[in-house]
Amino acid sequence: MTSASSSVLLAMSAPPYWHCGRSIRRQSLYILAALLPAVCFAVWNWGLPAVRVMALSVAVCVAVEALCQKLMGRELAVDDLTAVCSGLLLAFLLPADSPWWLVVLGAVTSITLGKMAFGGLGANPVNTVLVGWAVLFVSFPLHMDANAASLGTTFVDPLVRLKFFGAEQAAHIPLTDLLLGRQINGLGAGQIGALFVGGSLLCMRGILRWHSALGFFLGVAGIAAIFHASDPMLHASPLYHLCTGSVMLAGFFLITDPANAPSRPLPMFLYGLIGGGLVMAIRKYGVYTDGTPFAILLVNMLTPLLDMIRPKPFGVR
Amino acid sequence: MKELFQMLPDPRFHLVYGITQRFSEGPSPRQVRLNREGFKLLEGISKKMLVYPHQKLGVHPSPAKGDVFSPIFGKITEVNERSIFVEAVEPDEELRAAAQSVEKVDLLAMPERGGELVPILKGLGLNTGSLGQDCETLIINGLNPDPGVTWAEPMLLAHQRNLHNGLEMLRRLSPARRILLAVPKEIRLQHHDVEIVHVPSHYPASVNALVIKAVTGKERPDGVGIVGLHNVWSLGRVAVTGLPLTETVITIGSFTHSGNYIVKEGSMIGELLAFANIEFRDGDTLVRGGPLRGESIEKLSRSVTKGSTGVFVVEAGSVPVMEGHSPCINCGACVLVCPARLSPNLLSRYAEFALHERARKEYVEQCLECGLCGYVCIARRPVLQYIRLAKHKLAEADAVRRLEELKPVGQGEAASGAAQGGN
Ligand code: SF4
Ligand code: SF4
Repeated sequence: MTSASSSVLLAMSAPPYWHCGRSIRRQSLYILAALLPAVCFAVWNWGLPAVRVMALSVAVCVAVEALCQKLMGRELAVDDLTAVCSGLLLAFLLPADSPWWLVVLGAVTSITLGKMAFGGLGANPVNTVLVGWAVLFVSFPLHMDANAASLGTTFVDPLVRLKFFGAEQAAHIPLTDLLLGRQINGLGAGQIGALFVGGSLLCMRGILRWHSALGFFLGVAGIAAIFHASDPMLHASPLYHLCTGSVMLAGFFLITDPANAPSRPLPMFLYGLIGGGLVMAIRKYGVYTDGTPFAILLVNMLTPLLDMIRPKPFGVR
Repeated sequence: MKELFQMLPDPRFHLVYGITQRFSEGPSPRQVRLNREGFKLLEGISKKMLVYPHQKLGVHPSPAKGDVFSPIFGKITEVNERSIFVEAVEPDEELRAAAQSVEKVDLLAMPERGGELVPILKGLGLNTGSLGQDCETLIINGLNPDPGVTWAEPMLLAHQRNLHNGLEMLRRLSPARRILLAVPKEIRLQHHDVEIVHVPSHYPASVNALVIKAVTGKERPDGVGIVGLHNVWSLGRVAVTGLPLTETVITIGSFTHSGNYIVKEGSMIGELLAFANIEFRDGDTLVRGGPLRGESIEKLSRSVTKGSTGVFVVEAGSVPVMEGHSPCINCGACVLVCPARLSPNLLSRYAEFALHERARKEYVEQCLECGLCGYVCIARRPVLQYIRLAKHKLAEADAVRRLEELKPVGQGEAASGAAQGGN
């Protein structure tokens, strides 16, 4: 054996030689799998228009990322599927009836301004998807208003109902409708039940950090509970807030993006908590009905600050 | 539920494997390659010479470093700066007689204590650096050092006589007032002659600094020393056989199976793998030491030394390939997993861009080199390698600085210039 095997070509590597087996690509696949139920529900509730938006957004994101990498003289890395995730998440935030140019514009800004401008995956200080979303939201408020955009539906927009008709009216919307995505919202953001299932499975597998997700939901529910307790006629229940707008989507898939979240458990939890609080502040006092994406963009900026909360390194006195 | 949130779900990280089989004898090597770096060859030792087992070939100038002996009957085929090669030969009468005449030393019957033992043990091939270190409390690290290495349990449970003698000699040698044996909390061990402490056993619990913390409750306390069980075993082995140490215990393993062997020092890795029936193919990685902290070997003719803990084959495709230049994507996994509470993501980036002083401010020197940051890195960055590089560069810079302080003004620049040229 030795004589034959002395010609074996051994691969040199650096320690450790074992690995947990996770890769960026596999991580993306997990996330996509967790989004799949929401995709199905989106198609069920919104039909072909939703398919169109999702497909377009994903395709543009991947193409733009590939183009950027070419132009920047980098190795092509679209096979890590992170652009697919971004594309899908962006589509989830858009109304199902979005015109094609809106989708394209959002996808292009997300990838260029939200990712590649900072140097690629993981280097962006704010959430990739939300950069695109914010540009669209500020420039084309009318097209981004799901309530105005979705004319041919019998669904209602629970947050508009809450803001303009009060909590009592809002309470008439059955919870099952909210959970099953029968509400006007971003085409995927409204698939509350499906997102919850996918998201919690990911947290349990350790793919997503549960600390920030939990903090976020506690933040939203906690403040909502305080308001609700102070005047149940005026303020909707915590559950209502959790099941509307993009809270469910953001809590599992946007605020948990590790590139712009703190990395230690306590700061992550606080980060989520503050994010959740901001959502409620915007919903209550702001002009926007939802406010979740803005809350997350804001709390992204706090990350460097929160990262300063850290334990002393081993043996340092 | 806790397991679900675990980032290290690999069962092999639990350092208790339930393996208590006694060690098998390794192969009789056809060739050995002994480390001679720093050793001075004895008078008359040269190429083409015939040697016998336990014949002393060289001595090391350091008093704490054991001398080098031939492990086999053989002929010296080559001597260079780094190695001595010995090829096995069938001994003739004369050589056999010479081997018979090697005097056995009954260590346990000797009256010497403490520092007086050091030269004797050195003459028996033992490194006494960590065994004889000056400290109040000496902890024996009785855990398997790396995941996949499995010799610690049999050493504790199946080779009692060896352990017993090793402990006895250690007590005589060590200046410590208290000697403790740290063993995994799952192992019930009765030993009347040493104080036993039960410690956690999930890697990285076996890293020395963490064992000390588990035992004393303090991080880097003063006056506490630690020595590996492997060293105590060697000490016991010499006390039992009375002969110079020419063998070591290693785990030889692949993904599917592994075993523990007592192998001759200098055995070549190719021969060991063949003996243990471990196959490998093009593209596999060969590791000397543990799978987390060991070193990658480029050819089968490299050998194991006294300190080696294992030889492992990591099959191509069993882990994602490390490309070496992948950027950090800030996933934060390494920060969560680091037992030293560092930020390996920052450290590796500083090292990547040669900002070593900034790495120092981020406490790179506190790194325990456990390798977990690289284990969880989804971008497959060589994080530990970067950290070692930074540490190395900082140590180098410090050495240059000390030199400059010693030298008269004007020569300092030349020194630092030379150091930079050497990078
Ligand atoms: S090797 Fe990595 S994980 Fe281990 S102590 Fe050092 S920085 Fe932390
Ligand atoms: S695990 Fe790797 S990619 Fe993730 S933060 Fe650490 S170094 Fe960066």
